[in-house]
Amino acid sequence: MSTATAPATAVPLRAALRAERIKLTTLRSLWVTPLVALLLTVGFGTAVAAVVGTKDDSFAADPGLGIHYGLNFGQAALVCFAVLLLGQEFGTRMIDVSLTAVPHRGRLYGAKLALGAAVALGVGLLGTAGSLAGYAAFVPDGWDGPALARSVVAGALYPVLLVVFCLGLTAVLRNLSAAMGLLLPGVFLLSPLLSGIPGVRGVVQFLPDRAGQYALRYADDPQMAYGHWTGLLVMALWAAAAAYGGLRGLRRHSA
Amino acid sequence: MDDVGAERERGRTAVIKVEGLTKEYGGTRVVDGLDFEVRPGVVTGFLGPNGAGKSTTMRLILGLDRPTAGRALVDGRPYAELDVPLRRVGALLDAHALHGGRTARGHLRWLAASNGLPERRVGEVLDQVGLADAAGRRIRGFSLGMRQRLGVAAALLGDPPVLMLDEPVNGLDPEGIRWIRALLRALAAEGRAVLVSSHLMTEMALTADHLVVIGRGRLLADAATSDVIERHGRTRIRVRAVDPDGLASLMDRSGLDARRVGDGAWEVAGAAPEELAALAAAEGVVLYEIAVQQDSLEEAFLRMTADSVEYRAVAA
Repeated sequence: MSTATAPATAVPLRAALRAERIKLTTLRSLWVTPLVALLLTVGFGTAVAAVVGTKDDSFAADPGLGIHYGLNFGQAALVCFAVLLLGQEFGTRMIDVSLTAVPHRGRLYGAKLALGAAVALGVGLLGTAGSLAGYAAFVPDGWDGPALARSVVAGALYPVLLVVFCLGLTAVLRNLSAAMGLLLPGVFLLSPLLSGIPGVRGVVQFLPDRAGQYALRYADDPQMAYGHWTGLLVMALWAAAAAYGGLRGLRRHSA
Repeated sequence: MDDVGAERERGRTAVIKVEGLTKEYGGTRVVDGLDFEVRPGVVTGFLGPNGAGKSTTMRLILGLDRPTAGRALVDGRPYAELDVPLRRVGALLDAHALHGGRTARGHLRWLAASNGLPERRVGEVLDQVGLADAAGRRIRGFSLGMRQRLGVAAALLGDPPVLMLDEPVNGLDPEGIRWIRALLRALAAEGRAVLVSSHLMTEMALTADHLVVIGRGRLLADAATSDVIERHGRTRIRVRAVDPDGLASLMDRSGLDARRVGDGAWEVAGAAPEELAALAAAEGVVLYEIAVQQDSLEEAFLRMTADSVEYRAVAA
């Protein structure tokens, strides 16, 4: 037996992270979706600012809505990214290979979460910077308000929390189609549409995307039961709960 | 082959130990109190009909499924506790458990990185399995045979002393089957432990030094390949006489375990050929054929597994 390879040196989490990074760069669907998310966020935001601009007073009333308008579209691609990142492993049964390579389930899952969060943070930072620049180019007044810092921080963190939430839920479901079928319409259609119905609004405002998006806005909404920062916290709690549920699910069940 | 294997096997410490391993799915015992060991230097054939629990046992050894009872140890530890698992165990479970969108090289690169293996191993194993030319192609265009080769490459990546392959000859053409057979024998000759599952008895007779046979999740045999054939393969004497009616009447009267196999021939179990010849001579029946027939491994296997179905209430 050849002993060409060096003696075993455990390089656990760092190696698992490196493996996840290579998984991402070697599969087109995984690196294209975050780029699409960035493109949609900045593109739609800038385009709407250019078209609507100062003609409509809704942006003047709350520049946060205008700056982050593109995120409404970009987040659909982010949901796809998160669900694919983990769900594809279940869909192809590659999870078996991943777990033979990294048998510690928490470590494999932690590496996935860390990579997903890092990519989402990149999308959040670049998306917010790009959206803000695009908005400011067409609507020069009003955006530099006292709420700007919070809105920018929320713009960077919202994608991170959304991706962690989706990864966690995918780990709970351990099924690509189920996760995609639940999350995509849930975030993109159900949650925004339900929030328009007066009766259920009091409950719907606690859904993760509703809560997180409130932190993006400048203006106070008297119908919201909590403050802007609290909204981000509510979303963080959802993300943490989903991430923990996913960890439990992965640990408890057979691969 | 068997003598060499047995010699190599003797005195070596088991690298895989399966102790009372049991797995239930919804009340059904898929693996039922399995005990066996895999030793270095030999090819251990893991034999059983489809659905006997071979794949489940391998998944339990790799920690992918959790046992209902019992345990499986690699180097005396559960697989999940190995520091750099790919350097200890190389496994091929399902050649389809890959993402078709990656290239062969891409798949092996992340696998190497996960265990801190040097990147050059990727090229080395691709050469070793004959996939160097297809390294940059997406896996979705691969034939099953190419996927099997890629799976073998992945198993060899960490140059591990233990190899576990689930039905590796599935989907391979005759040339590929010969290649796998030679590779497994070479790996064992290097001192590695090789556990290879199959439902193809004839294939195992050619490849394995040692057999672990299971049926319905239970251990049916755990012995050298030649011993399994000897113990479970019945010997029968085939006889034919010039006067078939005379032979038939002799067989009826003799009280032997004999049965007519057509064309005037009879098969007698549990008798020595010289005994039969003497009996025929005493009765004046002239035999023109006496042949000793040894069951093939295939027949031995079929009988063993048939028993496991028939007598499933009896503890193994």
